[in-house]
Amino acid sequence: MLDEYTESLLVFAGINIISAFSFYLPFKTGQISLGQAGFMAVGAYASGIMTVKFGAPFIVGLLFGGLVAGIIGVGIGFPALRIKGIYLLLLTLGFAEIVQVVILTWDYTGGAQGFQNIPFLKGGLYYIYAVVLVLLVFFARLERSSLGRAMVSIHEDESASEVTGVDVVRTKLLAFGLGAFIAGLAGSLLAHYFTYVDSETFNILVAVEILMFVVVGGGGTFWGPVFGAAFLSLLPEFLRWLRDWMELIPASWTAAFPLNRTYDFLYDFLDFENEKRLIVYGLIIIVMMIFRPQGLLTPDSVRRFQFLQRRFSSA
Amino acid sequence: MFVQQLINGLMLGASYSLVAIGYTLIFGVLGLLHFAHGEVFMMGAFIGLQIALIPGTNIYIAILGALVATAVLGLVIDFVAVRPVSKDYPLAPLISTIGVTIVLQNLAIYIFGGEQVGFPETIEPVLYQLGPVTISSVQLFILLVALFLMVTLWLFINRTKVGRAMRATAENHETAALLGVNVNRVVLLTFIIASGLAGVAGVLDGVKNSAISPFMGLEVAVKGLVVMLLGGLGNVLGAMVGGLLLGMVEILTAAYLGTSVRDLFTFLILILILLYRPTGLFGTRTVESG
Repeated sequence: MLDEYTESLLVFAGINIISAFSFYLPFKTGQISLGQAGFMAVGAYASGIMTVKFGAPFIVGLLFGGLVAGIIGVGIGFPALRIKGIYLLLLTLGFAEIVQVVILTWDYTGGAQGFQNIPFLKGGLYYIYAVVLVLLVFFARLERSSLGRAMVSIHEDESASEVTGVDVVRTKLLAFGLGAFIAGLAGSLLAHYFTYVDSETFNILVAVEILMFVVVGGGGTFWGPVFGAAFLSLLPEFLRWLRDWMELIPASWTAAFPLNRTYDFLYDFLDFENEKRLIVYGLIIIVMMIFRPQGLLTPDSVRRFQFLQRRFSSA
Repeated sequence: MFVQQLINGLMLGASYSLVAIGYTLIFGVLGLLHFAHGEVFMMGAFIGLQIALIPGTNIYIAILGALVATAVLGLVIDFVAVRPVSKDYPLAPLISTIGVTIVLQNLAIYIFGGEQVGFPETIEPVLYQLGPVTISSVQLFILLVALFLMVTLWLFINRTKVGRAMRATAENHETAALLGVNVNRVVLLTFIIASGLAGVAGVLDGVKNSAISPFMGLEVAVKGLVVMLLGGLGNVLGAMVGGLLLGMVEILTAAYLGTSVRDLFTFLILILILLYRPTGLFGTRTVESG
């Protein structure tokens, strides 16, 4: 079986994929949210209350967490209808910060001590990837459905789609609420895998990271968030792996002057210590935005892949 | 007591103002939410500390050094992470400044360590008694430096030719370029000024709290955003007044309602303003889809 380290890596990647999906759904209608970490927190705490305080089975907690987050999402979705762009970004940021304050001050769930003793979910990895799979099917179908097309048309031009008969209010609310529901699922999965959460688990940087997954992966297709989340979650590991490979280079190859210095520098920078790898990670993100601002995957690249697939299956 | 709290609030607000001015300048000129601005503030604090630790220097040299160093940092950020990124994808520059945030924060941890470090006492602490109000020399110093910078900036933007070019660029890039403004140079200058101000704010924060850490940037960044909104996006005077206002509101709520209510209150204000006065308290700009 998987060793503990690999498993926790895969768990992180899976939860990141789910949270990237939660951002992607409202993003499809042009709504950019920095509040997804807040919805994750709501889901984590709501599900935790269910399983810890009421002894409910995990599945009940999971759905309850998603549901509470979804309802609050619709509540935030109403004022979000009126504003756009950076204003919406700030509104959702404000919501996430308020969630943090509530968590810190609410003694029922441990307050500043954090929510402890959440029951550990056995086989959490499978639950997480089951949710990922369900969401993949959902988004694949959504992309071809009338609802999905309505969302894209709202993103392109809100008034034009309203004129052509799209119910803009309902669609946007649905996208925002469902996005929050998915974030709630991600939060409750996280809480039951790590058995402990506090306000810092869901700070603003988490929301920023989720935004990054989607933009780096590419917001034009639902494969973008999946790929972006998986890629960025595993990138630091990849850098570490690169270092292992560097050790295989024979010492005689890099004995001469410019090469030995370069080797040492690179080797040092791919060190196991976190901050050096994270510096490289940040640089990679900057470089990526310079050379591929549309994200790694675009609808075009996905189509090309599908074309190949068809070729293989027909052969 | 109330007046005393107001003065404490003014102190807290002064550093909010300096950070928010940078945000609002960059937003006004570029339409960009410069996410790494809080990290520039943090870098300013660390650079100021390094200079203050050198024997024979004083706080003025530390502030000046931090100002120059963070101004250069702003220049580098513009050249590396903002200018080369295509503006056709509205989220791409935001993400690249997030990349800068990650780099700067981890660079600071790498160089200075991940711990909170003490800031030396650089100003002789004297307490002045003005009627019922006590004000310390440190408080006075911070207020004066912040006010001096704000007035200088205000004069620069409104009384000089370059300042006029900045205002023109903020209003409309194309028109400004047609009228002979070098837009790229204005953007660069904006980054330099904004970053320098944030750097000084960082040193002042170090002097005030006598401790700094590589993680201090985030909270200030978020508060700076609130202040920018409070004053109206792109409104420099609004950011100045908004920062002082938020500082006072925070101190007063903390004093009379408790610290846990303070942040709640701050973000409730944020949401209320977004919903009812999205152009800010003094804003003249119309709300646009940014």
